[in-house]
Amino acid sequence: MPVIATRGATVSYGGRAVVRGADLDVEPGEAVALMGANGSGKSTLVKAIVGLVPLASGSIELFGTPQRRFRAWRRVGYVPQRTGAASGVPATATEVVSQGRLAHRLLGLPSRRADRDAVGHSLAEVGLADHAHCAVDTLSGGQQQRVLIARALATEPEILIMDEPTVGVDAETQAALAAVIADRVDAGCAVLLVTHELGPLTDRLDRAVVLADGAVVHDGSPPRPVGEHADPAHEHMHPHPSPHPHPEPDAALPRLPFERPNDEPADDTWGVQ
Amino acid sequence: MSLDLSLFEYEFMQRALISALVVGLCAPAVGVFLVQKRLALIGDGLGHIAITGVAIGFLTGTAPMWTTLATTVAASIVMELLRSHSKTSGDVALAMMFYGGIAGGVYLTGIASDKGVANLHQFLFGSLLTAGWTEVWAIAAGGAAVAGLMLVLRPWMSAICADEQYARVAGLPVAGLNLLLLMTTAVTVSVSMRAVGLLLVSALLVIPVVTVQQFTRSLRATMFGGMAAGLLIAGAGVTASAVQDVPPGATIVLIGVACFVATAAAASLVRRARRTWRRHPPPTGEPLEVEIPTKA
Repeated sequence: MPVIATRGATVSYGGRAVVRGADLDVEPGEAVALMGANGSGKSTLVKAIVGLVPLASGSIELFGTPQRRFRAWRRVGYVPQRTGAASGVPATATEVVSQGRLAHRLLGLPSRRADRDAVGHSLAEVGLADHAHCAVDTLSGGQQQRVLIARALATEPEILIMDEPTVGVDAETQAALAAVIADRVDAGCAVLLVTHELGPLTDRLDRAVVLADGAVVHDGSPPRPVGEHADPAHEHMHPHPSPHPHPEPDAALPRLPFERPNDEPADDTWGVQ
Repeated sequence: MSLDLSLFEYEFMQRALISALVVGLCAPAVGVFLVQKRLALIGDGLGHIAITGVAIGFLTGTAPMWTTLATTVAASIVMELLRSHSKTSGDVALAMMFYGGIAGGVYLTGIASDKGVANLHQFLFGSLLTAGWTEVWAIAAGGAAVAGLMLVLRPWMSAICADEQYARVAGLPVAGLNLLLLMTTAVTVSVSMRAVGLLLVSALLVIPVVTVQQFTRSLRATMFGGMAAGLLIAGAGVTASAVQDVPPGATIVLIGVACFVATAAAASLVRRARRTWRRHPPPTGEPLEVEIPTKA
């Protein structure tokens, strides 16, 4: 039984189809990347899977249950696409990560030891144990992103759905997160990762689904970087060499002397007579 | 000081003090979530609607508190339905509440002209001469219910206010909690109108919270600190109001604003001093706290 199964999923915003008939399966324990250029509909498809945007047609099943009737959200860990974990009022990293345990708690009852342990453990897993009592708005962008990932981990999910978790995060943090996610994959957690670039996180993937213009154009082994892109030291910069790196002065044009001759008065520099 | 204490030998002053303290305690408990949700003006909106509720009380000859409670709770339900189900932006809905609430209140008070406008004033800016003990106990019960609910539901409320989309994916009853938040705001507005008045009630929702959050790091501390600050501000305001014989709403809010300005100045001084004392600049870039597994 697949963890996620979408069949002909179509999502439209104001009559314009953003996702068109997408079929996507994620099996238990499988790590899948959902890739595509900006605007290809990958984030929208993920939002439809977690129920944040309605389907125009098609169907989505989570753990074999139609998504509309799915209630076991504690089996899903979700990292939304966003910048920052801060809100209008200060909150500590522990408080934000504790939100991940609410799916396990009964409304109005205090947290139990298992909840607090899971929160502490997830913070340690993303390397923020020392920052547990820091206000999230004082953390860096990469640290805030790690707080949001720790929140999803604290749910102890069977599938981790992450929407562009590494946008604007430095390379070291990306590598660190790759290790955290690899651990969860090894522990049997399925992963659905939305990304538009190949990076440390994509090394451990079993499969990649590529969307273009809302439709699935590739479903199979993850694309491998080729040529110079495969070089780990490759920088994502493309300096285009100029055809004339050092242009020679053109002898045919009149040369303007910029040094003022010693005998000329300063007023006459521009020769306005 | 002896003057201040002797004032509270009057029974009306005891009633005024109790209702103000209840409001000072419960308003920031709700307000912290409204500030977190960036809905700080909703208290003003419901306060304006409540003016219509008071006028309905005048017109029908029932106690204004109950008609206000019914009107604001109904308005909060409509508001939440509008917010979640329609394309109307929150701004427009809020603007309609502002205009419609005041206009409705003035119109209905005009119809009930005999006991009209002079009376309305005490609901707009608060009054020390509250009704009898029964109303004070109703205020205390309402305030205690609000504060208790917010304290018990703090993690859930904070989750829906900080990141509603995440809360929905976590399977929380987001619609119900949103409705509960607006309804408790409505109750807070209704129990606050005697002490601070309907036009100023929003100040007690917001000021204590934004005052203490300049020094706090956690939501928990902000909530408890805000409640304590609200208690102090409301108590000091009622006392000052009695000494000077002015509407308590005005003194409570002025003391609150003064506290906010003073703490904001102090907080910025503290920050500047810390920067100066620390000779070296803080480290740029973020140290890597996770060990990267070395690849073979």
